[in-house]
Amino acid sequence: MNAAAEELDPVGLSDAAPESLWTKGLYKFRRDRVGMWSFAVVLLYVGIALGVWLGFWATGWADLAGGKWEPVSGAHWFGTNIIGQDIFDRAIYSTKTSFEVGLVVAVLATALGAILGAIAGFFSGSWLDELILWLMGVLDSIPFLLFVAAIAYTLQSIPEISKYSMHIAMIVTFWITAGRLVRGEVIKLKEMEYVDAAHALGVPEYTIIFRHILPNTAHILLVQATITFVAAIKSEVILSFLGLGVKDSMSWGLMISESSQEVLAGFFNNFLAASVLLFGLVMAFNLFSDALQDALDPRTVAD
Amino acid sequence: MELFSYSLRKLATGIPLIIGVTLVSFLLMVYFGPDKTFELVGKNPTQEQIDEIRAQLGYDQPMVVRYLDYLREIVTLDFGNSESTGERINALLARTIPVSIAVALPGFILGNLLGVGLGLLAAFYRGRWPDKMIMGSAAIGMSISFLIVIIAFQIILSSSYGLNLFPVRGWSVDSFGDYVSYVTVPTLATVFVALGYNTRFYRSVIVEETTRDHVRTARAFGVPSLQLYCKLILKNCLIPIITRIMFSIPFVVISGSLLIESYFGIPGIGKVTYDAIITGDQPILKAVVALTAIMLVVVQLLTDIMYRWVDPRVSLK
Amino acid sequence: MAEPLLRVRDLAIEFDTQYGTVRAVDGVSFDIYPEETVGLVGESGCGKTVTGLSLLGLIPKPPGRIAAGSIEFGGRDLATASEEELRTIRGSEISMIFQEPMTALNPVFTIGNQMADVLARHKGLTDSQARTEAIEMLGRVGIPSPARRVDEYPHQLSGGQRQRVMIAMALSCNPKLLIADEPTTALDVTTQAQVLEQINKLQEEFRMAVILITHDLGVVAETCQRALVMYCGKVAEQAPIEELFAQPRHPYTAGLLSSIPRIREDRPEHLPIIAGRVPDLLHLPAGCRFAARCERALDRCQTEQPELGEKTASAACFNPVPV
Repeated sequence: MNAAAEELDPVGLSDAAPESLWTKGLYKFRRDRVGMWSFAVVLLYVGIALGVWLGFWATGWADLAGGKWEPVSGAHWFGTNIIGQDIFDRAIYSTKTSFEVGLVVAVLATALGAILGAIAGFFSGSWLDELILWLMGVLDSIPFLLFVAAIAYTLQSIPEISKYSMHIAMIVTFWITAGRLVRGEVIKLKEMEYVDAAHALGVPEYTIIFRHILPNTAHILLVQATITFVAAIKSEVILSFLGLGVKDSMSWGLMISESSQEVLAGFFNNFLAASVLLFGLVMAFNLFSDALQDALDPRTVAD
Repeated sequence: MELFSYSLRKLATGIPLIIGVTLVSFLLMVYFGPDKTFELVGKNPTQEQIDEIRAQLGYDQPMVVRYLDYLREIVTLDFGNSESTGERINALLARTIPVSIAVALPGFILGNLLGVGLGLLAAFYRGRWPDKMIMGSAAIGMSISFLIVIIAFQIILSSSYGLNLFPVRGWSVDSFGDYVSYVTVPTLATVFVALGYNTRFYRSVIVEETTRDHVRTARAFGVPSLQLYCKLILKNCLIPIITRIMFSIPFVVISGSLLIESYFGIPGIGKVTYDAIITGDQPILKAVVALTAIMLVVVQLLTDIMYRWVDPRVSLK
Repeated sequence: MAEPLLRVRDLAIEFDTQYGTVRAVDGVSFDIYPEETVGLVGESGCGKTVTGLSLLGLIPKPPGRIAAGSIEFGGRDLATASEEELRTIRGSEISMIFQEPMTALNPVFTIGNQMADVLARHKGLTDSQARTEAIEMLGRVGIPSPARRVDEYPHQLSGGQRQRVMIAMALSCNPKLLIADEPTTALDVTTQAQVLEQINKLQEEFRMAVILITHDLGVVAETCQRALVMYCGKVAEQAPIEELFAQPRHPYTAGLLSSIPRIREDRPEHLPIIAGRVPDLLHLPAGCRFAARCERALDRCQTEQPELGEKTASAACFNPVPV
């Protein structure tokens, strides 16, 4: 036993605990207080976003509900912005926008990464693998903001899709990390005996890849999806601020963009409302993601 | 000689990357990009005027020819003129890249140095309160958007609502004093944002290394902690550290910090790129994309050479 | 007999794991006398390596700690000594070499550099003196052309040579005690014999005591004068080598000895094995830890823990194998 393994598991207890990765992960996660709290906060945000989506609240985000820069009051909990819109409603509505971007990008980018990564890993060394690796290298080497702009240019002539150019650009760049992780894992997994057995039984290759190998990378994909979610909502804010992101809607990035002039005039409500809500969600999601990673890491038995 | 032939081979293997990057960008931005004819012709143009503009923009040529034209520009390092200002792009780059480096360098160096330092400290106290404090702060730092940091630092340090110590925005640097006053707020913001990520990365690299057998050997021979961490462990961690630093250089130098420069109105390559994105100034965008790809290939080569320099097991094959 | 060099009493070492706290070593006592070679034998996980590491304060903490007991060496108690005190002892008065010669040396420094560092620290030598000394030590452990080898990196040497470098480094400050943790396990058989022979030879030259930690009874038989057999964190039996091999008293020792493959006349159909498995440290039985696997177990063995006697040959057993 080398020093590393010994330190993590000094007396060989991992042999004594034969539960599955997921059972063990759930057990570990439930004992992780920070993880549980952050999960609760994430759920709170999910509730807020769902409420917006179902039309329970924040329906008046675009209405001119009051005067310019009204202070905090019973009618306007966070005051109003420069043209008299209710900041509370706008900030709450933006939660939905964030979740839309985060979920769409996280799910699709992770799925794309899983598929291409699995194919590259399974056929590692072949031209297909080389091609996918080349594509990863290329997409990694284009400055992100330029890439977003380039996608936006291309889609300009198709208005139904062009408002999603930010989503598309994120998906096309964010799948790469998941792809590399899955590729590495699949290269390891395809040497396992059950894969040989499936081969010997004449199971078709795509069935082996997607039914037998890929499910075993689910823990990596889940963690990666949470990381991508955070990256997407953070990028959305910056892209929207720069005018490359959300259009015809409201988002924290647009609120901060509005506020960048206001703050120099001493009006901070817009900036603070968007910043605090954004920070809360990102922080909770980061901690949740960390806890998930700890719980699902097969290497950490005790730390 | 060995180094020279290695370098040539390595640069040659970078060609597919350069081709890929330029081809993808070319297709998206230029070929499928917006048709600029009607921005350039006058009111009520005749068919001849339209044709003339189209020929001038190269729209009458097939795609392959236009892409080859782009490649020729890259090989000769001559990217033509800006569409919006007419300035030679090479002159534009020579003017703006030094500004970007001057803006980004202090933050880049500080962010990495402090990151390694805090990573060492956290790894040394692994599991105890200094580690928890450092990693907790890193988690908070990573959760605050870059944008919020920039605006908050501007309010706190540069506005009359805060300390009012530095200019709010802009870049008119004639002396070192000017430089310090303009660069401080962008630097602090960059360091604040990068530090969380850097510390986390470096800590995990260092912690991984502390579990190696040779660290146990060193402890068994009475090596003091300071020497153990700052010399023996750190030298073994140099490969991931160098990789991380080197591969972020092209993006720092060429794209600059687009957000910092456009927010603070600093005339660096980042701001130029941002303006080009907004106005659709394709020659500039083409130059920025190509230069980034070329720099990445060069950085890859330099990184490989540095690997051999820090790790005797690496050989140039 | 002379005063013991090292006196370990009731040593207990605990580790915090996610499943709870475990005692990897529980109430271990033994003496090491100057210039003798003692084998510390047992299966993996029995606590022998942890015991060896604890003598130099090298238990990773957290999660581990010395929970009880004392380690007397040269008038000090190493179990409670400060990190500073331990550091002056490590590599100078007590040295340790490890199982993995492939990874135990730092890959990015030359072997000369690593050896000179130890010499400079403990003997206060200058760089050039330390280098000369390092070359001499490499020669003494049988490294060919040491003046050239001294500037090479570990990856340029073979496994056997690397272990020799480790030995040279360990002996360079004339330690009184060498702890060798499975020093030959990772090497091939011919190299194993050479390295063991080298350790034996150097032990006489340097007049030091050696604790040889191993799972290999063959190695113990060849090199040691005495041996301690460990099982599940406790010493099961200690005895001089001839006695141990000729008349093992503890049923576990007897089982271990009979399970060594050897050429015999009677050719048994199956190699005898010890039935059952080692209890895990979280769920230890109330009585003797070997009772569940023991053919000679009495009722008493299920409820009471047998103690190891004070004599040089003794077994922690209520019903030892009769002589």
